[in-house]
Amino acid sequence: MNIEGLVNETKAYYCLDCGVCTGSCPVARYSPSFSPRLMVEKALMGKAEDFLRDQDVWSCLTCARCTHRCPANIDYLEFARGIREEALKLDNKGIPAHSGMFQSIMGIQTSGIKQDRIAWAKEAGSIADKGEYFYFVGCLPYFNVIFANFPSQPLDIGRNVIKILNKLGIEPVVSNDEKCCGHDMLWNGELETFKKLAAANIEVIKEAGSKKVIFHCPEGYFIFKNYYTKYFGDLGFDVIHFYDFLAEKLKAGELTLEKSNGRVTYQDPCRLGRLAGIYESPRDIINGVATSFVEMERSGENSVCCGTTGWMNCSTCSKEIQGNRLKESMATGADTLITACPKCNIHFSCAASFIEGIDIKIKDLTEMVVTAMNGG
Amino acid sequence: MVRQLVALLGIEDERLALEWVSSAEAARFAEVVTSFTQKIKELGKSPLRLAA
Repeated sequence: MNIEGLVNETKAYYCLDCGVCTGSCPVARYSPSFSPRLMVEKALMGKAEDFLRDQDVWSCLTCARCTHRCPANIDYLEFARGIREEALKLDNKGIPAHSGMFQSIMGIQTSGIKQDRIAWAKEAGSIADKGEYFYFVGCLPYFNVIFANFPSQPLDIGRNVIKILNKLGIEPVVSNDEKCCGHDMLWNGELETFKKLAAANIEVIKEAGSKKVIFHCPEGYFIFKNYYTKYFGDLGFDVIHFYDFLAEKLKAGELTLEKSNGRVTYQDPCRLGRLAGIYESPRDIINGVATSFVEMERSGENSVCCGTTGWMNCSTCSKEIQGNRLKESMATGADTLITACPKCNIHFSCAASFIEGIDIKIKDLTEMVVTAMNGG
Repeated sequence: MVRQLVALLGIEDERLALEWVSSAEAARFAEVVTSFTQKIKELGKSPLRLAA
């Protein structure tokens, strides 16, 4: 879509020039050259070429803080995605994190190769080939290899989800043929790659005969719920977030948890909070597993992004954002920062490993639940 | 790490080789490349190409 079309679709022409977007932007705070307002203004003035060749196109975290606060309801998220599609046409590809390894892994998955990715799931508990519930694992098996030196193993999240589902009497389908959900490809401006991955995933789920698809990863959930339906219509199955599902089960008394001592705080993932509106379920669960839960100064819809998205442009700016967020979590007096997104966990663990003065445990919520399930 | 990623993607382990050859070992370089090329030819088309 060209810039004019993009301006119309995102209603950027309603811009009041108030600057709330740039004032809310975590990137603009540490990297003053980056300005969402300026990009919108330039697009409106027909001067998009000024920024389309610029690295700043790739600096946006798509965290939606600006979109959420914009008094004119401009869809900045779609604007950021659209300008990336345009930037790619001008050969402005940004700087992928980890030398583009993730983009390669995502791209290879469009070719229809036969993956070998579920050995861990068979060891973690009981899984099925076909059935009502499908657990969409996401990138965890790949993350587990790439971040093998991190204190917490990304695949532990997957193992925990299976253990919890099994405890609830559910044997979910976990498939070798599941592909990357395409979230990052979409925000990398690669719409066609996204569509190929999405079509393959929908087919895999249909073949498994599943009617309820459970996601732990907020990105997978958000992208299925909003973009799979946008491009493929009715999916024929329900898209459910694991924490919504679990919170319901806890309310119904189907699972009992023992609280453990200690003070915890919680990082709202952008995709789960501002973009999917799921704030309560994880908090209900946290209150079931921890004796003391304190909010960070900026939480819920004001929460701050974990610093990098779509494996693009991880920079000193990302590290500033992460370091400051970790300090904010420590200021609550908590001993543990609970994350609900595998990437938040990875990004904070990375920053905590070398930024001085960071002393807080970083745990995924599923880890807390499994501990609480086994008696606290 | 690459070996583990390649395994997850379902690509055969034999298609990946890592060898150290110094700039003084021209003969050995030729030998390594020739034998690897031979092996790949014997293995046939990669699952990546077949899938695409």
